[in-house]
Amino acid sequence: MFSARFGSVAVIAIALTCRISMAAELGGELDTLEVRPTLVKPQLSLPTKLTEVYVANPGEFFVPPNVADIPDDKYGDLVRIGRNIFVDTQNYAKRYVGNGLTCQSCHLQEGRKPYAMPIWGAFGMYPMFRNKTRSVVTYEQRVQDCFRYSLNGIPPSIDSPEMQAMVAYSHWLSRGAPVGVELPGRALAGLARTEDPSPQRGETVYTTRCAICHGAQGLGQKTADGTRYLFPPLWGSDSFNKGAGIFRVRTAAQYIKANMPLGQGFTLSDQEAFDVAAYMWIQDRPKDPRVSYILDFLLPRIGAP
Amino acid sequence: MRLLNQLLSMGSGTVITLVLLLLAIAGAAGFSGLHTTLARDATESAVLDDGKRIAQSERLGVQSCIACHGASGEGNRALGAPRIAGLSAGYIEKQLRDFARNPLHVGVTLDPIARDYSKTPRVQVDLTVYTPGVRRNDAMNAAAATLGNDEIHAVALYFSSLPYTVVALPSDPETLERGEDLALRGKPEYGVPACTSCHGSDGRGHGKEFPPLVGLPPEYIIRQLNNWQTGARDNDTMALMRNVSDQLTDGDKVNVAAYFANLSGTVKATGK
Repeated sequence: MFSARFGSVAVIAIALTCRISMAAELGGELDTLEVRPTLVKPQLSLPTKLTEVYVANPGEFFVPPNVADIPDDKYGDLVRIGRNIFVDTQNYAKRYVGNGLTCQSCHLQEGRKPYAMPIWGAFGMYPMFRNKTRSVVTYEQRVQDCFRYSLNGIPPSIDSPEMQAMVAYSHWLSRGAPVGVELPGRALAGLARTEDPSPQRGETVYTTRCAICHGAQGLGQKTADGTRYLFPPLWGSDSFNKGAGIFRVRTAAQYIKANMPLGQGFTLSDQEAFDVAAYMWIQDRPKDPRVSYILDFLLPRIGAP
Repeated sequence: MRLLNQLLSMGSGTVITLVLLLLAIAGAAGFSGLHTTLARDATESAVLDDGKRIAQSERLGVQSCIACHGASGEGNRALGAPRIAGLSAGYIEKQLRDFARNPLHVGVTLDPIARDYSKTPRVQVDLTVYTPGVRRNDAMNAAAATLGNDEIHAVALYFSSLPYTVVALPSDPETLERGEDLALRGKPEYGVPACTSCHGSDGRGHGKEFPPLVGLPPEYIIRQLNNWQTGARDNDTMALMRNVSDQLTDGDKVNVAAYFANLSGTVKATGK
């Protein structure tokens, strides 16, 4: 058994030796062009693990409570409604959403995934100052911005039942997390400085690594019954608008680096993440709602045939 | 203008002939379109018949498909054969092509310049080297090797056209609860995404890349996850499933297999 498994290696090694000795006998001297340097060495050792796999250190991240442990009281009911909205925004907060996305399209795995803007890393940091609004905003105001920009819809008012449920879910998910502390895995991963991002290179990355799920056109893929998106659209009329945070190339690159392709976070290089983010940036998508209201009536709807 | 004059100067008979000629051309075009549709339907049904015949026939000392996978592709849990009815035709075709390759034919894979690093051969603990991009299963390797490309296509179309009713297997609540947690939420701190994020909500599958998980024997799901880990199955696009499986413990596999075996529902015949 042992010899049989090493058989193929042994044969190649013998063949190589014969070839070198034959060349030495015939010519007396080795032609350097005939033996490539790469062919000499790798036969001595079998490749062991050439694929770099990012090894997560699960102990460094905060672990939110289990869904099965949601309490059976009024608070628990509100948390369950909030979770439903978070997972299936298209049904449970339908009147506020203007595109095909849900909360967990970006806040992956019900807002639990580290480096995917987890809810447990954000809730304890509010109220906080935001450069976007130049003011100190509350958590509710931040959620309203998600609806206005990332979901391209209408923000729910602060006293709406949907908002109360979402705040309750965020509160429950962050139970046990310290308040006002920047936890590891909070928000997004950091990136090194790279060359200027190039949409041309990004297109190559997109077609090889992203298109299998998000589709060749970047418009996502709907489920077989066509009611909702299984893989969210990255651009087009059903995607986030130009006011969203992830519309910024750096933010998108940080998100892509840590989370994409799904289950293979940290496998793209920083340069590739920037390139594919730039490729996303040049695509057509709904306009920034802050820019103008007059043009809304003059321009055709984005994605309209 | 000159053309109009010419037309006007022509006799009425010539004009009528011209109109008739045009009508004839239009009719012929319409008829040929209909003819093509009919021909396509005939070809598809011929391919399906062909697939059915291949699925039922023994060949070259290899058992027929239906001997293990059941007369309507419903699978055989005792033999460890999964159901194949109602799967995507593209998925079945890809699996058969990968089965048809020799998993231990490592001579070609020891290329010192590995061009595709996601498909470099992996050396396991017992020093077995598998060819990248194949599935190892002794029975299926032998069976798929006897099929040609057209036959693989036909048999894939046939099984994908069959309907299937999922029978839910009971399990204890704790296992199901843990399995549901993994299926819907994955393991965020380990970087494992939820199963349903690709395989569809309720595990119904999506397209030819993401097969359904419902209606499979739990033993089959566990065996496949083990195969991803050992490298005996290595034919996933972009190594998506390999990376997920590498992070799963034995307990995870049991829980999630029990969860998907517990789901019920009907799978319609989808065809392609």
